[in-house]
Amino acid sequence: MQLSFDSDVEEFRAEFVAFLDEHLPDPSEATVRARSSADVPEWARRWQRVQFDHGWLLPGNPPEFGGRNATILQQYVHLEELSKRRIYHSFNPQGLGIIAASLLSFGTDEQKQRWAVPILRAEITAALGMSEPGAGSDLASLRTRAVRDGDHFVVNGQKVWTSGAHDADVLLTFVRTDPDAPKHKGISVLLIPTDLPGVVRRPFPSVADGDDRDFNEVFFTDVHVPTENLIGELNGGWSVANGSLGHERTLLWLSFADRLQDLVEDFHPRTVLDRDRYATLVMDHQALKLLGSAALVRESRGAQDVPALSVLKLLGSEAVQTAAEHALDAAGPDGLVHPATTSAYVPWNLDNFSSSWFERFVRSFAGTIAGGTSEIQRNIIAERVLGLPRG
Amino acid sequence: MLFEFDSDQQLWQKTVREVTAKECPSTLVRTVVDNGADPAPLWKTYVGLGWTELVESEAAVELAIVLEELGRATDPTPFLATTTQFAPLVAGRTQPDRAGAAVYEGVSAVRDADGWLLRGTAHRVLDGDRADDIAVVTEAGVFTVRADQVSARRTSAFDPVLHLADIVFDDVRVEADPDTDVDVEKARHVALAGLAVTMVGACRRILDLALDHVRNRQQFGVPIGSFQAVKHRAADMHVAVERARALAYFAALTIAEDDPRRRLAASMAKAAAGECQSTVFRSGLQLFGAMGFTWENDLQFALKRARAGEHMLGSAAEHRALIAEEYRATLV
Repeated sequence: MQLSFDSDVEEFRAEFVAFLDEHLPDPSEATVRARSSADVPEWARRWQRVQFDHGWLLPGNPPEFGGRNATILQQYVHLEELSKRRIYHSFNPQGLGIIAASLLSFGTDEQKQRWAVPILRAEITAALGMSEPGAGSDLASLRTRAVRDGDHFVVNGQKVWTSGAHDADVLLTFVRTDPDAPKHKGISVLLIPTDLPGVVRRPFPSVADGDDRDFNEVFFTDVHVPTENLIGELNGGWSVANGSLGHERTLLWLSFADRLQDLVEDFHPRTVLDRDRYATLVMDHQALKLLGSAALVRESRGAQDVPALSVLKLLGSEAVQTAAEHALDAAGPDGLVHPATTSAYVPWNLDNFSSSWFERFVRSFAGTIAGGTSEIQRNIIAERVLGLPRG
Repeated sequence: MLFEFDSDQQLWQKTVREVTAKECPSTLVRTVVDNGADPAPLWKTYVGLGWTELVESEAAVELAIVLEELGRATDPTPFLATTTQFAPLVAGRTQPDRAGAAVYEGVSAVRDADGWLLRGTAHRVLDGDRADDIAVVTEAGVFTVRADQVSARRTSAFDPVLHLADIVFDDVRVEADPDTDVDVEKARHVALAGLAVTMVGACRRILDLALDHVRNRQQFGVPIGSFQAVKHRAADMHVAVERARALAYFAALTIAEDDPRRRLAASMAKAAAGECQSTVFRSGLQLFGAMGFTWENDLQFALKRARAGEHMLGSAAEHRALIAEEYRATLV
């Protein structure tokens, strides 16, 4: 146990800080805002490409995929430096963290060159088609159907909550290819370009704001997808799903730590009760960082414990929600104002978490619902960490 | 920050766990409570193993590992008070086989021609009735007195294993000058971290017992641990323990590395331990149903040890107030 990193990690950090100081876009260049999580303004595309070319986009990747083969602890300090300055390395985060990562893990060399590299270089953007109207927590029950027809799959069905789909060039889509197999064993993954005939995307606003259009319904009607767009093995989609969500799992808690850090800076206690709640926020933030760094150390030793990561997700997401509600409480009548800016303006991110106090609170539910609800996390902890019987 | 035990610490934890399982089983705690057995042989075992010598700041994490296991076992000896309350006030002047206690308030020192007189009454001093030596914090500095110089009376507490005493200082004569170099604030941080990690150990014990119970207890033809309402309570207990445990070891680590965040970390550790015991006490006893509501069930020892900690060295709410104050000060 030690409070500081070893020198190789600190040297890595210093190198990245020097890169940021030299290459971060000037705020005057970063004025165009993104409208969704797959809409990347030109300046942000350039910024992502600079990071790719210098091996700082995803340092854990090999150089040909925008990295420098960094260790997990080096990757951690890289993200820590980004979060300190509230910088997004990509304005298409799911493209980078899930779709490109899945292609690099499960795709062929040709698929990596054709799609992963352009996503990483921000030449195209991507969205993730997993959830359906009838398949949320029970994702394996998804029903979007793909039927093989010669050198194509014919896709019919519907996805929903597909963030950024209307601005994305490609959709990583989970489809049922064998309706007779047990539900986990009949799923495959197709990379579907959004300009194929029969793909209809309908963005709809979130509860946060009537102008906030990131979610989409996506309808597939007799969409002909070339078989070369199959990612991973036929009917092997469930392992891609676990892999996709697993990629960022070890570092997922960091996004909650970031939100907590933002709240530590932005929450202004007024009453004695506010101050008491503020202390809870400070403790949650510290505890999450401690537990998260312990998980990183375990992973760096090759002893990753996936179910234990549910503790980080549950603790982090619930702590953000609690703190955001308390900050909203503390805002009093100012809490009514929307839209509003509740923290210093930073041009290098999506602003979602510095908007009105209500919006910050209501957006915290993305943390407790998406990526496995808090209820699912509790089940995982109870069954797979604590060994209680399945119900 | 590398917040995971290294291989030496893992080995140490395993060793300590084996020793406490063998030397301090709940049957022993039971005989101390119900039959008035003397825990002195157990104390001698700790002394023999060198555990009472883990009082240098650098060993704070190793000491915390021992304390967590002793919290889990409801240690009936004066180990906690000796190593985390007495020792930091008398740095470098401890004897491994002598038990100690600390008086933080209630006593004043008056100087006269022959030296010093200590007067006042200290209430609810941990192990004040069975310490060999007592460190006394006064405005003049820290004095050390022998047990036979004061009159101590044990107060009964809801935790039947805990020793609390009121100590009367009736013009106790001390010839030596007080130690004015002691970092009393740091000593208090050591005490807070030690109590916090002890509470965490007790909470882990409650969770372990509750898990064992809900895996085995059958109702409606199935183990009650298969019900989601039960699982979710268990998961929340686990998260509370992990959170409090992380903050307790963080406090120990800031002591070991003499990090400037020590003051904040000590309060966070104690506050989190207090919040943890609230969650774990309530869910632990609830999940046990009526079976946990009996004197004969060993659950009571861990429940009471965890709860007792909340009433010593400042409550969770008091420490949260300190954290808010400290953190805002740090931010500016």
